[in-house]
This record gives sequence, C-alpha cells and structure tokens, in this order.
Amino acid sequence: MAFMTLQDIDVRYDKKKQILKGLNLEVKEGELVSLLGPSGCGKTTTLRVVAGFIEPENGVFALDGEDLTKVPVHKRNFGIVFQSYALFPHLSVYDNVAFGLKMRKLSKAEVDKKVKNILEICGLTEFSVRFPQQMSGGQRQRVALARALVIEPKLLLLDEPLSNLDAKLRINMRVEIKRIQKQLGITTLFVTHDQEECFSISDKVAVMNQGVIEQFDTPETIYHRPKTEFVARFIGFENFLPLNKHGDVYKSEAGAVFTVEGASGEDSLMGTIRPEDIRVAEEGQTKNILTGTIGVRTFLGKTYQYEVETEAGKFLVNRPADESYEEGSTLRLYLPETKLILVKR
Amino acid sequence: MKKSSAFIMVVPGLVILAICLFLPLLRVLVPTFYTGDYLFSAYADFFKDSYYLKIFVRTVKVAVITTIVCMAAGVPTAYFISRCDKKWRGILLSVSIFPMMTNSVIRSFAWINILGSNGIVNRFLMMSGLVDKPVKLLYTDFAIIIGSVYLFLPLMIVTVAGVMENIGDDMMEAALSLGADRLKAFMKVIFPMSLPGIIVGGILVFTGTLTAYTTPQLLGGNKNMVLATFIYQRAMSVGDWNGAAVISLIMIVVTLAVIKGFNALAARLDKRGGDHA
Repeated sequence: MAFMTLQDIDVRYDKKKQILKGLNLEVKEGELVSLLGPSGCGKTTTLRVVAGFIEPENGVFALDGEDLTKVPVHKRNFGIVFQSYALFPHLSVYDNVAFGLKMRKLSKAEVDKKVKNILEICGLTEFSVRFPQQMSGGQRQRVALARALVIEPKLLLLDEPLSNLDAKLRINMRVEIKRIQKQLGITTLFVTHDQEECFSISDKVAVMNQGVIEQFDTPETIYHRPKTEFVARFIGFENFLPLNKHGDVYKSEAGAVFTVEGASGEDSLMGTIRPEDIRVAEEGQTKNILTGTIGVRTFLGKTYQYEVETEAGKFLVNRPADESYEEGSTLRLYLPETKLILVKR
Repeated sequence: MKKSSAFIMVVPGLVILAICLFLPLLRVLVPTFYTGDYLFSAYADFFKDSYYLKIFVRTVKVAVITTIVCMAAGVPTAYFISRCDKKWRGILLSVSIFPMMTNSVIRSFAWINILGSNGIVNRFLMMSGLVDKPVKLLYTDFAIIIGSVYLFLPLMIVTVAGVMENIGDDMMEAALSLGADRLKAFMKVIFPMSLPGIIVGGILVFTGTLTAYTTPQLLGGNKNMVLATFIYQRAMSVGDWNGAAVISLIMIVVTLAVIKGFNALAARLDKRGGDHA
C-alpha cells in the first residue's frame, strides 16, 4: 500500500500560470523517490506542496492514510534539506541540529543524546562547536541533513541538495545520503535535474514535464524503456524516427521496414535509440536499416560520434574509434530491434 | 596601495576635525574640570542638585523608552517590509521615511495640534464623553516620547529592514519545518539574525533622542526640560557657559557609554565565530 500519496494536485502561480496539473504520485514506505525534470517542470513545487509551503488549489496530499493537505508546515514533522542548506548562522552546529528537538520541548538530556547520535551517524562529532560559516560545503550539507533527520521525520525532503557541491564531493555525498537513508529506513523525496545523480540514488524515479509526471518507474526501466518522447530525450536518447504500424511491422515515413521487440498496440509512434546502440549494417541485411551520409565527425576518446544525415533526419551514431568512417561517405545504419524503443509521440 | 600612503588620504579629514572639533571641544571642556573647589567639582555639583538630576533622569528615561518603543514597533514593520517583493519594498520604505522629509519644527507643530488641550485627541475624548475636561497631553514626557518616536522610528525601520532583506525566506522555512510556529521561528531565528541591525538602529534612535533639541523644546515646554534644552537655557538665557559645557560633557559621556554598552551586548549575543559569511 502506498505510504505517501499525492492525488490530482493542481497548483497555480498568481492565479494564472498553472504549474502542477492534476499530479498523481504514490510512494511506498522506506523508498527513496526522485523527482527528475528540467527547470520549470514543477518538481520543486511538488516538493513544496508536500512540505506544506504551498497549499494546492485542488487535490489531496496524504501520508500513512492521513489527509495532511491543510496541516501547517510546523505540525507536519518532515525533515527538509534546502538547496541553500539554510543553516542558522547564529547557531553552532550542535544548536542547529538541536533546534528541532528544542521546539519539541524534549528534556536537555534527551536532546543531547539524540544530537550526539545523529552527529555521529553523519560524521560530524568533531565539528559540533563550529559555526556554519567556518565549514566547507560538504560539511554544511551534512549538518543540514543531520538537522533534518534528528527530529525523526515521517518524510525526508531533499531539494537539489547536491547542486552546490563540486563534482567529486557530489558523488561522495550521494552515496552518503543513500547509506543514511537506508540505515534509518526513512521515506525520502529527492528533487534533482541531474539524471546521473538521480539514477544512482533512487529506488524509483518520477520524470516530470510541464506539471505532470510523464513516467514513474525504477531507474533501470526509465533508462532502458522510456515511455514518452520527452522522457527519452531527457535521459539521452538522441535519435527519433516517426513510425507507423503496418501489420506486424512498422514503416518509416520513407517506407523503410522496422521490427521492434515488445511492440505496443498504438499505430503511430516514435522510434528512438541511443547513439551508442546503433550499428553499421552488414551486407545483405534488409530490416531495420537507415541509409545516410556522414556530416560531421567528432572525436570523443573511446568513440567517434557521427552526425549522419538520413531520410528520417539527423541521426547521432557513436562507433568505436578503431572503425572510423570518413566525413561525406555513405553509411548504412542498423537499428537492432532489441535496442529500438517505441515511445508515445 | 601601501598603508603609509593610504594614511595620507585621511590627513585632510583629520586636520579639519582637529581644528573644527577637537580643539574647540577641549577649549570648552577643559576649564570645566577646574571650576569650583576641587577637580571635577562642577560635575559632582550637577549630580548633587536634585533639579539637575531630575532633568538628567528624564532625558535618559525618554531616550530609553523611545528606543524600546521604536524597537517594538520598528522590528516587526521592518520584517514585513523585507518580506514584500521588490516593488512594494521600495514603496513602503519611501513611505516609512516620509516623516523625515519635513522639518522637525513643522512635525512638532503637527503634534501640538494633535495633543494640545484643544487638539484632536482631546476633542475626540470630550465628544465621546470619556472625559469632562481636556487631559493634559502636551508639555509632558509622554508628548516628548511620542514626538521622538515619530521622529526616529523611520531610522529604526530603514536600518533593520536593510539587514532583514538579506535573510532568505529559507531561514523561516527551515525553522517552520523543524517544528517552530511563525512567532517562535521569528524570535529564535529572524530576530537574532537581525540583531546587528537592531543594535545599530537602537544606537541611532537612542543618541538621536538624547541629543534632540527641537522636539523636547516644542512638545515638552520649559517645565519638562531635557539635557539639550537645558544646555540652551544655561548658555543663552542665563549666560552660564561653563554650566552648559558641564552638561555637554555629561551628554557626550552618556552617549559613548551607551554605544559601548550596545556594542558589548551585540558581541555577547552574536557568538558566531571569527569569519562571518
């Protein structure tokens, strides 16, 4: 059963621009779910609805069977890690972390025990007397996480928590977040625009576009089997080919015949494939073939990337550097039926 | 630029200050140390005289109350203004400094019209039957405080709003998410973070009120003198320049002591370590 549900959530900005349009989401207990999408897709808005900073125009937000749509922020008991960390500059690390516990009127001894415990889990014990200004980005990030976790929240909400860190630290921190999240078994919502970060950390990913969730699946499914053109484009499918159903096979607009594994019922679809999955056709192969001329060749290290002008438009093709083709030559591309994905147009 | 050459640039200012401020100040103040029977006896006499002491106490009392009222009224207002969007912030700040754009004599006359025995407040009270004869509002400490608050509240608002503008919404949101209601979040997070501004505002209001002349003169009258009006009376009406200088030094010392005290308070409350963000 779903632990957290968002049902038909509508949010409008200034009564005009609609940001969320009937959004639905169900999250199981203990799961780490990412909201992934380009800026302006409504992912942060979704998180703010859950947090209680925005009251939706319509729809219900429920947690553990309880309708929380109208419950104010301070009574929700959710831990939030802000993009800016939002640490209180006038308080030490210890007092920052203790803040939420003091608001709950816990005894001094209890506060002390819990703060020390979470500082230990987050690897911050030695920094407890420091002030936020005296710490590095990664350390502040951990303080923000400790402060959100120490109140034993029912939900943990992370708003692009890694975007202010450098690349190496980001990888360390996402492993760290995942570890702590699993250790405490806390249901987590994670907002990001970085697909690699999102795939590496999440149990499930909701890809958002223009206020709706386009696809909600495991990272593996989304990576290999995107359902819509938007999702495919967002996660790195570069090549698109409109296809129409003709009996058991699909035909491109130019008339080339394609077979696709796991074909669905719809008649008019978009075929898509990653640049690295395209092969060069052998002599005598006739199915799933596109012919084109090589435009630009780019050296990527292990591979060359070719921009191939085909009858269905530009295709990007990555081939190993040892089998190089000259610019201007003609190339017959083979799109393997296991790699060619059909998505909604 | 080297430190020594930078020093050259402050020389003109220092020279002007020395000639126009420090020397005249010493010239006026030093003789007061030697008047009377023993060193500083003029000062001892001041505090022995119950009439003088009363003026001193009234001055400090008016300044303290004005400062507290300005803080109580100015801090929430400043917070409200700092949370508005940019367009409204500009409009509201201009509105709040509007009183500063008129002359303080004119402003005080406005209050005379309001507080006088035939003023708006008294006419309203009489009409509504709450009192039989006019209440004495004008020429009281209360009138001086009202006038001073009106005079200096804009300073408090502008100073504090400036500091609060730099506090992001995420601070309030973080506090709320940790279980604090809005009032608690304000008291525990926004207020302490704004303290530097509140302290500066407090110093401005306190020293301003302590040294103001026009407002207490017009709203307090001759029976409710404060140090500033007292200095004027000593020097201009009585011709006791030495006595006026004594009071001046007392005012300077009080002002410096209060600034020092405020700063010490700020340092104690603001414990965050060396390098501020």
